Amino acid sequence: MDSLIELFLLPFVQRMFIAGLLASIACGVIGSLIVVKRVVFLSGGIAHATFGGIGLAYYLQYTMSWMWLDPLVGALIFAVLTAGIMSLPIVKSRLREDSTIGVLWVIGMALGVLFLNGVDRSEIIVQDPVSILFGNILLIQFSDLVLMGGLVIAILLISIFLFKDLQILTFDEEFARISGIQVPLLNFVLLLLVAFTTVVLIKVVGVVLVIAMLTIPASISGLFTKDLKQMMMFAVGIGLIINIAGLLLSLWYNLPPGSTIVLSLGIVFLLALIGKFLVQHVFSKTLSIT
Amino acid sequence: MAPNSNVAIDIKNLSAGYDAETIIEHVNLQINHKDFFGIIGPNGGGKSTLLKAILGLIPIQKGSIHIFGKPPERGRKYVGYVPQYAEFDKHFPISVWDVVLMGRRAMRGMSPWYSQKDKKAAENALKKVELLDCKQRHISELSGGQRQRVFIARALAANPRVLLLDEPTASVDKDMQETIYQFLQEINKEITIVLVTHDIGVLSSYVNRVSCMNRYLFTHDDDRYISPEMIEKAYSCPVELIAHGVPHRVLVDHDHKKKKRTEES
Repeated sequence: MDSLIELFLLPFVQRMFIAGLLASIACGVIGSLIVVKRVVFLSGGIAHATFGGIGLAYYLQYTMSWMWLDPLVGALIFAVLTAGIMSLPIVKSRLREDSTIGVLWVIGMALGVLFLNGVDRSEIIVQDPVSILFGNILLIQFSDLVLMGGLVIAILLISIFLFKDLQILTFDEEFARISGIQVPLLNFVLLLLVAFTTVVLIKVVGVVLVIAMLTIPASISGLFTKDLKQMMMFAVGIGLIINIAGLLLSLWYNLPPGSTIVLSLGIVFLLALIGKFLVQHVFSKTLSIT
Repeated sequence: MAPNSNVAIDIKNLSAGYDAETIIEHVNLQINHKDFFGIIGPNGGGKSTLLKAILGLIPIQKGSIHIFGKPPERGRKYVGYVPQYAEFDKHFPISVWDVVLMGRRAMRGMSPWYSQKDKKAAENALKKVELLDCKQRHISELSGGQRQRVFIARALAANPRVLLLDEPTASVDKDMQETIYQFLQEINKEITIVLVTHDIGVLSSYVNRVSCMNRYLFTHDDDRYISPEMIEKAYSCPVELIAHGVPHRVLVDHDHKKKKRTEES
């Protein structure tokens, strides 16, 4: 028990848990929207494209000595850019959505590799590419937390203010248009929120595993709720609990935190599915027999 | 054009469709206020397209639409729309109450919260469709007919003057079909009803006017009736008619020539 308290006194552990909290809020709220609107892979595209932005930031740090350019800011720029390109009317009308996603996804990744390749690692400190892709929450700085906190506040304010419209949009886009909602604009705002969320999650689970954080807590929550707002709140709670559990596991057994969190999420999702199935099909039958 | 409060929907020489493709052409149609208007026709004949054009959801390529004297973008505030039931995700986490409240969005504007007035209107709408007791239920916990009534209530929550319904009785059982039509007949005392369906049978005993839609709009001289000729033109093949509006079964030979014929009603 003492060791646990001591652990929480360590600044990097505190930062880790604050990051986990912020990530849970963002992914619970926005993840729920993404899951019900079935645009998980669109979000995946945005998430992966941020790799290019991170690479670019390091590259500019190295070549132009722009040390102020935080890789997370680079990620944010690329995420917003990708969301913007996906929302362009010409892209939406002329291209198949999944193809657009695929193209932006791989171009972002390829740019990231190219930029990182152009950086001399003896000159500047560069995060290991593996930890960019799969996350390393242990490396979180205070400045990262400030950016993440700002984004989470923006996410919360926008989604509270636009909740009703987002609910209509995700449930019935045609009705949204009839109701006078600017559907293309709101769709862009939703992607912008996804972009923000992605950036919040990158440090925690990494570029590749962002989809897990966006999808799994919301999906677990969706199994047990019948209301979008409730789904969001449960998803935040589920995300938080599993995040913390995953972090503790990774600290205890010295495992990579991002993967540990994702696997914990996966296991809980599986258990929740089995639990729901048992409740619906097995127990209800035995109840009705007796 | 002078607004005429007796004409709910006035369509003149309308062509509409998506991009370069024209789906409906040369449609002339005047629907009077408090009509119970049926539009029948085969699947893919442009019935839904016509409704979407009225709602301003697809661009008008030629001609004009006026709703109580206003173009679709401004006139659609008078219009309630009940889309095809099959298009919904039943598992979407939303309650009956929240679905009906959505109907108030058009008048609520950007405000993030629904007012007491909105809630009152939603409650009245649910009362009308006799589902107030179910308001906390999730949409997946309703029968097909109940769900359809929820979407009717959503449209009614905005107090429309015209109600457009797209295949309101698809995937609803026969008894429930009758119930829904009777309900529509009841609210028709105050609201114009326009519905499209390929189900001619039930329809003909409730509507007071009817047209057939298959790219062009076919209307009988006396549009209270569905004539075999009209159906034949619209469906461009012989159709067996066993319906209330038609005295006996008709089965006719015909040539496959597509004749263009539109008439002002």
